[in-house]
Amino acid sequence: MPKHIVSGLKYLTAVELIRDGFSQKDVANILEMDRSTVSHYLNGRNLSWNSIEVAEIITNFCSRDFLTLTYALLNDSEKTRIIIKTCSKKKYQAKVEDSCIGCGLCADTCLMNAIILDDLKAEIDAEWCCGCLMCGDVCPTNSIKISEEKNGS
Amino acid sequence: MVANVKEVKAKEVTVKRASPEEKRELSFKDEICVGCGICEKICPVQAIELGPINAIERTGVEESKISIDETKCVLCGMCSSVCPVDALEFDIDEKSIKEIEGYPKLIKSAEISDEDCIYCKACETACPRDAITIARVLPDRSKLVTGEIEIDKETCVSCGICEEMCPADAITMEHHEPTSAEPTVSTDINVDKEKCVYCLICKKSCPVDAIKAVCRSCSYGEYDLNPEDTEIKGSSFIDEEACVDCGWCQEICPVDAAHVEKAFEGELLIDQEKCEACGACLEICPCNVLSFPKEEFGKQGAENVRAEEKYCIYCGACEKACPVEAIEVKRTAVKHTPTKSKSWEKKMESLKT
Repeated sequence: MPKHIVSGLKYLTAVELIRDGFSQKDVANILEMDRSTVSHYLNGRNLSWNSIEVAEIITNFCSRDFLTLTYALLNDSEKTRIIIKTCSKKKYQAKVEDSCIGCGLCADTCLMNAIILDDLKAEIDAEWCCGCLMCGDVCPTNSIKISEEKNGS
Repeated sequence: MVANVKEVKAKEVTVKRASPEEKRELSFKDEICVGCGICEKICPVQAIELGPINAIERTGVEESKISIDETKCVLCGMCSSVCPVDALEFDIDEKSIKEIEGYPKLIKSAEISDEDCIYCKACETACPRDAITIARVLPDRSKLVTGEIEIDKETCVSCGICEEMCPADAITMEHHEPTSAEPTVSTDINVDKEKCVYCLICKKSCPVDAIKAVCRSCSYGEYDLNPEDTEIKGSSFIDEEACVDCGWCQEICPVDAAHVEKAFEGELLIDQEKCEACGACLEICPCNVLSFPKEEFGKQGAENVRAEEKYCIYCGACEKACPVEAIEVKRTAVKHTPTKSKSWEKKMESLKT
């Protein structure tokens, strides 16, 4: 079953990536799959439609559940990042306040690798932030403020 | 989830956190710690607790001067950057934050200039942490006083007076019991010219005038003394780990060869009325700032404990150790390298009292 869900998630990601203008070859590279498998996926073959439905439900989970479940299924942080970034429908704004002490706990915790430290202060790349808020949970000084972007597409 | 790992080895404690991106390590050396509690004060997550410093210092109880709660520590490194004696070291990817730009560090140093040093060893003796070693090579004694000495072995009666009188132990005789084959009390007499200082005591005390000796320095003055032969060579070494930048070396140096820069400025105030002369502060002070004034002991209005503030590093250990709150250590300046982090800057400033 977990394998089927993974296939479903990869299918959804592949569809989104093709829509974003990537070629089948690119998609195969990004998701580390055979080109033929990508092609089969996109044509709806070799996939049980039920697994796509389950995967779709998962993408609609709250960000943290979507992220942690996907990571648990794939056990591969690079592919998890791609799937989450591609299938996540929400955008986030991230702000790190001056009270940050640069301990790096958030950076170590962030599964999306969206956080780096610069001059003893965390910097969050909003492009990659999935809004799971795990960084804020571990922050000892409560310096991270993440909010969902309401305007825009 | 990344978790901290704590290791305790003898009196050294390390707390580590490793992620694929970064490895952070805090290490604490108990034998360097002076128990000032600055780390406890600055820790943003209250992970450090100062131990029973008085008991540790005075009764030798086997406890660590500070304890680090690894479940609370977030490995930010602040404690390390403000430790006035570098008992706490913090590394990111095996590089000390003292070498990483952006991390503030206390501006403090102690140096002895070998160019000015005369290797008198006053600093070595005065250093309260035994952090200084002076290695010196003294001039060859035989080159400083020259002369000539000769013993006429024919005239010599082997009385041994010169050997006994020689202040430099330069004369030795081969004493022996006389036999019919060798009817003398000594077989030989020798002068070690490396040791002889040409004081002429042997010549003056010889009862049979068997010694001819002359001192060149007395006869001709010191004009032929090669200045190079009188040079004292050496080198100084400060053990950075033990040094607390107290300034004793600078104050005691007769030739201004020692230079100390202190990170903290401040004031050390002792309430003589409150002080009960228990001596806790004397024992805890890493800088030998405090002493009991002997002569005035018991006199009306005399000081119970005397402080020589020029050696003080304003660490505040004495204030914490004083059981009757008779000591106040004020810090008015904390000199550190710049940091762009506002939270760190604020924390450094918070050390002022």
